[in-house]
Amino acid sequence: MIEVDNLTKRYGEVAAVKGVSFTAQPGQVTGFLGPNGAGKTTTMRMLTGYMPPTSGSAKVAGFDVFDQSMQVRQRVGYLAESVPLYRDMTARGYLMYVGEIRGVRNVGRRADEVLDRVGLIDRAHSRIRTLSKGMRQRVGLAQALLHNPPVLILDEPTIGLDPYQVLELRSLVRDLGRDHTLLFSTHILSEAEQVCDKVVIINQGEITAQGSPAELRHDMARGGRILMRVQSDPEAAAELVRELPGVESAVVDPVMDGGIVITPSGVNSDPRTVIADTIIGKGIKLVELRPLAVNLEEIFLEFTRQQAVNEIAAEAAEQASADAETESA
Amino acid sequence: MSVMTDQSTPHQSHVLSQDVKMGGSVPFWAVFKRELGLYFRSPVAYAIAFAMLFFLGVLFNGYLSQALDAQAGVLADAGYMPFLLTFLLFLIAPLLTMRLLAEEAREGTLEVLMTLPMHEGQFIIGKFLAAWAYYTVLLLLTLVHFLVLNSIGTPDMGQTFGAYLGAWLYGGAVIAVCMIWTAVTEDQIIAAFLSAATVLVLYLADVAALFITNTNPQLAEFVRELGLSAHYGSTMAAGIIRLEDILYFVFMIIGALFITTRIVETRRWRA
Repeated sequence: MIEVDNLTKRYGEVAAVKGVSFTAQPGQVTGFLGPNGAGKTTTMRMLTGYMPPTSGSAKVAGFDVFDQSMQVRQRVGYLAESVPLYRDMTARGYLMYVGEIRGVRNVGRRADEVLDRVGLIDRAHSRIRTLSKGMRQRVGLAQALLHNPPVLILDEPTIGLDPYQVLELRSLVRDLGRDHTLLFSTHILSEAEQVCDKVVIINQGEITAQGSPAELRHDMARGGRILMRVQSDPEAAAELVRELPGVESAVVDPVMDGGIVITPSGVNSDPRTVIADTIIGKGIKLVELRPLAVNLEEIFLEFTRQQAVNEIAAEAAEQASADAETESA
Repeated sequence: MSVMTDQSTPHQSHVLSQDVKMGGSVPFWAVFKRELGLYFRSPVAYAIAFAMLFFLGVLFNGYLSQALDAQAGVLADAGYMPFLLTFLLFLIAPLLTMRLLAEEAREGTLEVLMTLPMHEGQFIIGKFLAAWAYYTVLLLLTLVHFLVLNSIGTPDMGQTFGAYLGAWLYGGAVIAVCMIWTAVTEDQIIAAFLSAATVLVLYLADVAALFITNTNPQLAEFVRELGLSAHYGSTMAAGIIRLEDILYFVFMIIGALFITTRIVETRRWRA
């Protein structure tokens, strides 16, 4: 169980993580999804006790990450993003070392067990520098599993692996999720969709959305952009829709193969029924009317776009930094 | 209660993992064993040992022939070799310590260490003790010279003991001071240079004191007492064991390791 409450990390003036709150349940894989530099690693480092938060709190397995750091560390298995290992040690030697520091009993047998678990038992006595990237990743994972912690925190475990290794690792993560509280970060959207029971989307240090992949898809029906197709003359249909209440804009998008992209005026408005009634009432043949975002990739882009739009409205042209966000939308 | 839970039964392992009970662990001992093992497997450490023994051997040879020519009673000065060794420490100690924390920081392994249930002080002490233990081995190797002296003369046993005890503590203090710089920077070369410079300054403090002794004798005495030489060359190397000298080295070790720990902690806060 991971409970994060209003967690904030500042480096001087810059806030890397701004008031993040979410929970990760036992027996579930929680995906921490966001572009590079969104604050995923910083948040995870605070959860593992590596760095203290500036404000806010977080509980891991029932212990406060700041006040009860040692208890938290005993109960967390952590795979850091860069998978730092001692290159001159053997895989087994490294696990023995970490196990001894952790005070794991019968550490040799336990090291063999976890090496077996990650499918690396036949390379137990190879020096880590001779192992491939995928194997090193698995040594790191074995290290995280060594003390059989109830909570696993894996920072971008699939980065830099070949497609086959990625598939293997994803199935291992799913498997581990069944009997652990598992938080893992990724910037690959399809991965989060495949592996996670719950997704937390973070962008620029703030959580933009969270829920199960299905819930997020459902939420997008409200406030998100809408795609409409008509049989003929999309321009005329767009003109018609533009006049409706709750619609901010409607443009024919050549990228969408002549589909009309409709932007609702409010975050919570869903003008789909009104649009459908009007279009059909005018005798235009409606082919399709659906939320623009149907997979997590589109959902993600939608959420970050909305965030950017809101910010621009709030801050006006005060800060030029908003440029980068609108680009991503 | 054991952590050896069976992974093949998820339910059971989940229940057990909630209250994992570890054996009594002494983390610094694991760190110490690994670091000491690394010294004995590292070519650099052997190169240091070789260079030191070679250099000391040449000097010892010169010292012997000079003393034999003079036919004087100065021959059996057993404090000479430990004294030379302490001088060489400004080269040896930085080379032994530069890797200890800088490499972990650069490779990112420090991040893993700091998420293990172990206080920073534990692995800093483990690493320090490993470096000191390796230095102890070097120091014991120089006993060869004492054996040679013993076979052709009659060295003063009390002086020998004092000189070697002093050289041992001196080495501990210098290594601890060098630990500070390896914690400050990720660059081993910079750590080594800054360490060597610091040790030289501490070594030459009594020379600096000479320059100001006329203008400000009290300050001069203070500066001299801060330096390493005032607590070894004229006292322990000559067989005079004073509590204040032992305390000086012990407090130097504790103080330097404390500073190192704080630096590593602050790096983490800023990381």
